[in-house]
Amino acid sequence: MSGPSDLVRIYGRAFAAACWLLVFGWFTLLVLVPQVTMVDQSLWRMEQPKDAAQLTLDIDRLYNDLSVMKLDRADAPADKQAALDARIAETQAAIREMETRETQPRKVYGPENYTRMSGLHAEIFLRTLAFAALTTLIALVVCYPIACAAAFAGKATTTAVILTALTIPYAINELLRTYAFLMVLDYRGVINTALSWIGIIDLDRDQAIPFLESQAAVFAGLVYAYVLFMVFPIYNALESLDKSQIEAARDLGASSLRTHWRVIIPHAKPGLAVGSIMVFMLSAGSYAVPRILSRGLGGDWFTQLIYRQFFDAHNWNIGSAYSVALLIACLVFVALVMKITRVGLKDMVR
Amino acid sequence: MRGHEIRLEQVCVRFGAVTAVEPTDLTIEAGEFFSILGPSGCGKTTLLRVVSGFLSPSEGRVLIGGRDLTATGPAERPTAMIFQSLALFPQMTVWENVAFGLEARGVDKATRKRRAEELLALVALAEHAGKRPSELSGGQRQRVAIARALAVEPAVLLLDEPLSALDLKLRQHMRAELKAIQRRTGVTFIYITHDQGEALAMSDRIAVMSKGRIEQVATPDGLYATPATPFVATFVGEQNVAEGTIAAIDSGIATLDTPLGRLSGRLIGKAAAGARARLMVRPERLHHAAHVAPTPNTLSAAFARRDLEGPVEMLVFDLDGAQWSIHRQNHGETPRTGPVELAFATEDAMVFAEATP
Ligand SMILES: Nc1ncnc2c1ncn2[C@@H]1O[C@H](COP(=O)(O)OP(=O)(O)OP(=O)(O)O)[C@@H](O)[C@H]1O
Ligand SMILES: [Mg+2]
Repeated sequence: MSGPSDLVRIYGRAFAAACWLLVFGWFTLLVLVPQVTMVDQSLWRMEQPKDAAQLTLDIDRLYNDLSVMKLDRADAPADKQAALDARIAETQAAIREMETRETQPRKVYGPENYTRMSGLHAEIFLRTLAFAALTTLIALVVCYPIACAAAFAGKATTTAVILTALTIPYAINELLRTYAFLMVLDYRGVINTALSWIGIIDLDRDQAIPFLESQAAVFAGLVYAYVLFMVFPIYNALESLDKSQIEAARDLGASSLRTHWRVIIPHAKPGLAVGSIMVFMLSAGSYAVPRILSRGLGGDWFTQLIYRQFFDAHNWNIGSAYSVALLIACLVFVALVMKITRVGLKDMVR
Repeated sequence: MRGHEIRLEQVCVRFGAVTAVEPTDLTIEAGEFFSILGPSGCGKTTLLRVVSGFLSPSEGRVLIGGRDLTATGPAERPTAMIFQSLALFPQMTVWENVAFGLEARGVDKATRKRRAEELLALVALAEHAGKRPSELSGGQRQRVAIARALAVEPAVLLLDEPLSALDLKLRQHMRAELKAIQRRTGVTFIYITHDQGEALAMSDRIAVMSKGRIEQVATPDGLYATPATPFVATFVGEQNVAEGTIAAIDSGIATLDTPLGRLSGRLIGKAAAGARARLMVRPERLHHAAHVAPTPNTLSAAFARRDLEGPVEMLVFDLDGAQWSIHRQNHGETPRTGPVELAFATEDAMVFAEATP
């Protein structure tokens, strides 16, 4: 396309310029600056100087010299005292300079923050990615039928009811929502109480099912927390499907399964990709849900590790490195999903 | 491939309080090219969906090839539908589209591909087999849809305004193509359209629908020459209309008193003197009085304008409060304005009495 952009044509130069300025400002402030700071932070560390031992020896030697000089000065004739005083001051300054060098670590750039990740931390990192992928898969399996139900309900009211019901929980803060879920899954939570009412378990004899002690609780919590981000992209994609394609498939004798596999899912692919990417990123980066639901019993999520690097260990460099590692892993996931589904960026914004 | 006969017995479709199709009896013969013609919203698609099995009739039975298939789904019926939007699968190649019905029936890939190629050859698209539907032109996509429907060897092909998205030239070309495919395959075609030209050009028989009711079933010639109802008379072709009261009826000829004068024509149906009625004359049956044998039906008019339509021209005249027109061969010039006498033969006019409420 040549000539002025649509923006200029519709709103005029001044307004278009304001828009572009806003976009530019937004990009700089909210995208570029934080990421660049984080990457920079992750690439340096404070290091004790390498020649620290030699320095200590040198300082010791200078201290010896100093004591000798002080003794000399006590015995020296008056005309030589001034020269000795100058030398003493000189030596003292040198000692001070070397001492600061000895105790003050230096800022050193290098990849060590990444490469020195301990085995345990690397394991948590990989496990978090695997669990996030699993959460995504579960969300995909749970949300596709919901999105289908909403898109193919036939009646507008049914669609509205399904979508509203999905949205309502999001009016509540994520933390509170997660606590609500905790109350459902707790030892004496809603599910266990209901089961004891039916008579399947006896709460008083400690037969409560320990949902919260297994990773399943975290998966369920994450899926619960992020369904919307999976359902809406899929729903949007399905909504744009010409319904007569489904009828045509049926008319040609295709089973429901084949219709989904060959007609509906290929059409919904961009939605499936966008939903998967969002849920993966959100669950890999989730802090509250695994923290609240596993309560330390189900093993750490990588985000908890990052949190501790920042706020307990006060090692912002390692914290940044871990954050950037997670970011890179997410980007790799995005690329992977786009490759697998053969969906381009342009398809996603469709 | 051989067509099947279709019989609808007292088929009726209601959506809540709305009756989309009134109780209808209809027989479509095996191997016939049958069109359903009617204005938008008259229930054409609804009727077709009943035949295809996507919609169960509220009442009545659907028999295809002599079997009662009222309760059978679309997949099990020997029918195939061509949708108004064509509904090609955009993610599949052309040949995969055509072979989809066979794929659903578990036919192996090699056979599928061979069969798809045969069908694509039939619709002259053999060299496009590997393309996606989006890479084809409108007419080519249309033919892919036909090939896809024919692949499942249906006995009945159902077409819901399949040409409405095409431009005029292509539409005329596709008419001939469709007709030829129908001849070659012998499949029964049920063709829905609101374009009378299409219906008249292609069909063996036409049903004209209005407001959920079939008004008349006839051959194209029969429909044009002897419409059974005023709706059919005005919907198919054009008419010059005069309203009035019946003054006399004599051996099938009704004489009307109208604001344009006293006019007579053949009475269609029954009526008594004194009833309100409409007299209709086709534009090609109206002439300048000077050019025809004397008739009792003459009108004074003033020439208004000339609409050229290529080989023919339409002359429009102002009458007392009405506009009538003459459809004739292109004379190559615009007549002078001024008063003229128009005339038509009594046997060229039709009189429909208004239904007594
Ligand atoms: N699913 C439905 N629910 C309620 N009313 C319907 C439904 N489908 C069709 N109708 C009504 O039935 C009538 C006939 O509709 P139909 O689609 O058969 O018309 P049509 O003749 O195919 O019109 P067109 O030429 O515009 O396609 C219309 O008044 C329509 O509003
Ligand atoms: Mg229709």
